[in-house]
Amino acid sequence: MSKHSGFRGGWLLASAAFALSILPVPRALAEDAGNLYNTLVDIRLGERYFERQCGRCHGFDATGNDEAGGPDLTGRLTRASTDVAIFNVIRDGIPGTAMLPVPENVPDPQVWQLVAYLDSLRYDPESVVLAGDADSGSDLFWSGSDCADCHMVSGRGSRFGPDLSRIGENRAPDDLLADMINPQEDVAPRWWRLRVTGPDGVTREGYRMNEDSFSVRIMDDDENLWSFHKDDLQSYERIEESTMPSYAQTLSESELDDLVAYLFSLRREEI
Amino acid sequence: MKRLSLLLAILLPSAFVQAQEQQFQTVITPAFTPITWERLANAGDEPENWLMYSGTLDSQRHSLLDQINTENVSEMEMKWAYQIPVIDRAETVPLVVDGIMFITEAPSNVTAVDARTGGVYWRYDHDLPEDLRICCGRNNRGVAILGETLFMSTLDAHLVAIDARTGNLLWSTEVAPYASGYSKTAAPLIVKDLVVTGIAGGEFGIRGFIDAYDPETGELVWRTYTIPGPGEFGNDTWSGDSWATGGSATWITGSYDAELNQIYWGTGNPGPDWNGDVRLGDNLYSDSVLALNGDTGEIEWHFQFTPHDVHDYDAIQIPILADIEVGGEMRETMLWANRNGFFYTLDRATGEFLYGDTFATVTWASGLDAIGRPIRVPGMAPTYEGVMVSPPIVGATNWYSPAFNPDTGLFYVTTFDGEQEFFKRDEDYEEGERYTGGGGRYTQPMDAFHSSIRAIDPTTVDIVWEFPIMPRSSAGITTTAGGLLFSGSADGFFFALDAESGEELWNVSLSRRVHAAPMTYEVDGEQFVTIASGNVVFTFGLRD
Repeated sequence: MSKHSGFRGGWLLASAAFALSILPVPRALAEDAGNLYNTLVDIRLGERYFERQCGRCHGFDATGNDEAGGPDLTGRLTRASTDVAIFNVIRDGIPGTAMLPVPENVPDPQVWQLVAYLDSLRYDPESVVLAGDADSGSDLFWSGSDCADCHMVSGRGSRFGPDLSRIGENRAPDDLLADMINPQEDVAPRWWRLRVTGPDGVTREGYRMNEDSFSVRIMDDDENLWSFHKDDLQSYERIEESTMPSYAQTLSESELDDLVAYLFSLRREEI
Repeated sequence: MKRLSLLLAILLPSAFVQAQEQQFQTVITPAFTPITWERLANAGDEPENWLMYSGTLDSQRHSLLDQINTENVSEMEMKWAYQIPVIDRAETVPLVVDGIMFITEAPSNVTAVDARTGGVYWRYDHDLPEDLRICCGRNNRGVAILGETLFMSTLDAHLVAIDARTGNLLWSTEVAPYASGYSKTAAPLIVKDLVVTGIAGGEFGIRGFIDAYDPETGELVWRTYTIPGPGEFGNDTWSGDSWATGGSATWITGSYDAELNQIYWGTGNPGPDWNGDVRLGDNLYSDSVLALNGDTGEIEWHFQFTPHDVHDYDAIQIPILADIEVGGEMRETMLWANRNGFFYTLDRATGEFLYGDTFATVTWASGLDAIGRPIRVPGMAPTYEGVMVSPPIVGATNWYSPAFNPDTGLFYVTTFDGEQEFFKRDEDYEEGERYTGGGGRYTQPMDAFHSSIRAIDPTTVDIVWEFPIMPRSSAGITTTAGGLLFSGSADGFFFALDAESGEELWNVSLSRRVHAAPMTYEVDGEQFVTIASGNVVFTFGLRD
């Protein structure tokens, strides 16, 4: 390289540096390497900020708010899949919605602490070490137990319980174990039972497929679907219990671990 | 067009540019008879129009129209729908004047449409800054009208006057600095020759007030703070300087009694909402109703529903004024189903507590004493770990309009029996930042709770009937001389009940949450009923 060309290269570099100094640089650009504010203290400070500034719309525990309309932030985020994207949504808001930008005077590190808190609500499933074996759990699920008599995975099984095709995305291993040991603890309203007497005088019981202010839909144990207007019903009884038994006694600890490992592996295939 | 504006902004003097950017519309609505104060004071006598947010100054939300009634309501059909071009849910209660409807939209816009067809005459778009401080969504609930001028609150805490014929801006007054946490969402109330209006921002450590403005000029005529300043009665109900950041916002519309010349207005939570340690005392006049002199704004009496509130139980409900028989004697009363779960009957001339009782599930207090003060249950204040309390933060009811039907003598209110864990947090006040001191969390799915419309006998606080709705409703109520009660639900239904019995007579699924109150009007001898669902305004009438 000649002296001359070297000089010219230096000038170009200097020009580029000058141009960069006057052009607006996206604030998050420098942080693409990752969140530098992700210690436990940062997460805690992010949580405090979240509770104060974000909780009113997104729920105090970030699980959403039906009236304010702020979505649940504890699962997969639809508008942001990376830390930088989450940062930008918080920093800039979402135009045309109630998701306003955080005030200008809130420093970037504080926003990164919020990102760290939101990240802490999720985890990388690859990093989870489980005692059980997923393959053994799969064998148990499909042939060594009655799981598939009620549940469905990828179109196979039955419809008398929640579809488990992607259950690993929504439930942590501890939750999955608790679901099998104590299924009455946290029963989703979709799996309550309704016992209703229709205008024909026949009493039917079934899963609460759907209920609104004026109508109900149930599926009976023969998989028949029934739809009623509430004002046509002669009787209506809601049973807020799960039909799932506890497996605490019927399965061994290692069998439960294997099932947890299998269920936790059930998630959407990466595209 | 934006590029051209930018070019003009660079090339031309700023005053000219400002003129270019201001809206000026030449499309006009058909002529209507200007709305005088006398017409507003007697709004119930012209039920073909809906002239203010709550229909009439006593806020009974009861229309004398009876063309649609218990016999024929099942024949109702949709007449038209107006799609608001903004995705936020609508909380608007439109006004109708001589066949012209004025609809407010999120964030702070208003549209005039033909009340027979929904066809648009004009639309006013209010320019808003990007860094608003709003608590709970981009809302606007309605306009007020006097003469041929509309008055509207805006999210950047302005009060604007708009020519009702053209949609052109007449004046815009800054009520309070939005960057400090103030905003405005509620419809103003016309009282004689004043535009009376409140303020929002109770989650931002504001100091609340009720204002009156000159409708011609937009100049402030009087301001009454809802937290007394140093040296004023009640200031000593706030420890230290906590009064200065104590909230007590006024974010819903009040009522007016012309004979008593009193304006009645509810006030919101003390701030910070869930940590009362920094504001010891009763915290007057938060969670209260204030009776203000109709000319001067001076406080003539106050009644505090929830002294030293730590659960966010705003008294942001519409005061319903009704003359009812109490103990064999006709009394001028005010009826109030409060967010805190208690129903109150007050003497509206004096503020005297006549009686009250729970109308929903309440665990934070065991009852009311002889002067209407709650008897607190120990251990119900929020903690760092969380404590379960009913009603939840959203309340046993909230801002959504109740109704009183003089034909049935019943008070109707959308009610929620729920519970929530309340948490306390330590926070320092910072101007323009949220200042709430905690929050709440549900531990059960919403379907596990009970929501309903309750018909309450205000002379006994007995629940005469209830109509269950699911899940929790946030819709207001309107009744009519046709024996009907109209309301909506969170699962998107609009429906009519028999106001006497609570029997369901008609419903339609509009699919999106109803977060507004219905209103009714008449054009060319035909009665219509209007409700906002999601971001669409639907109008119904009898089948042709």
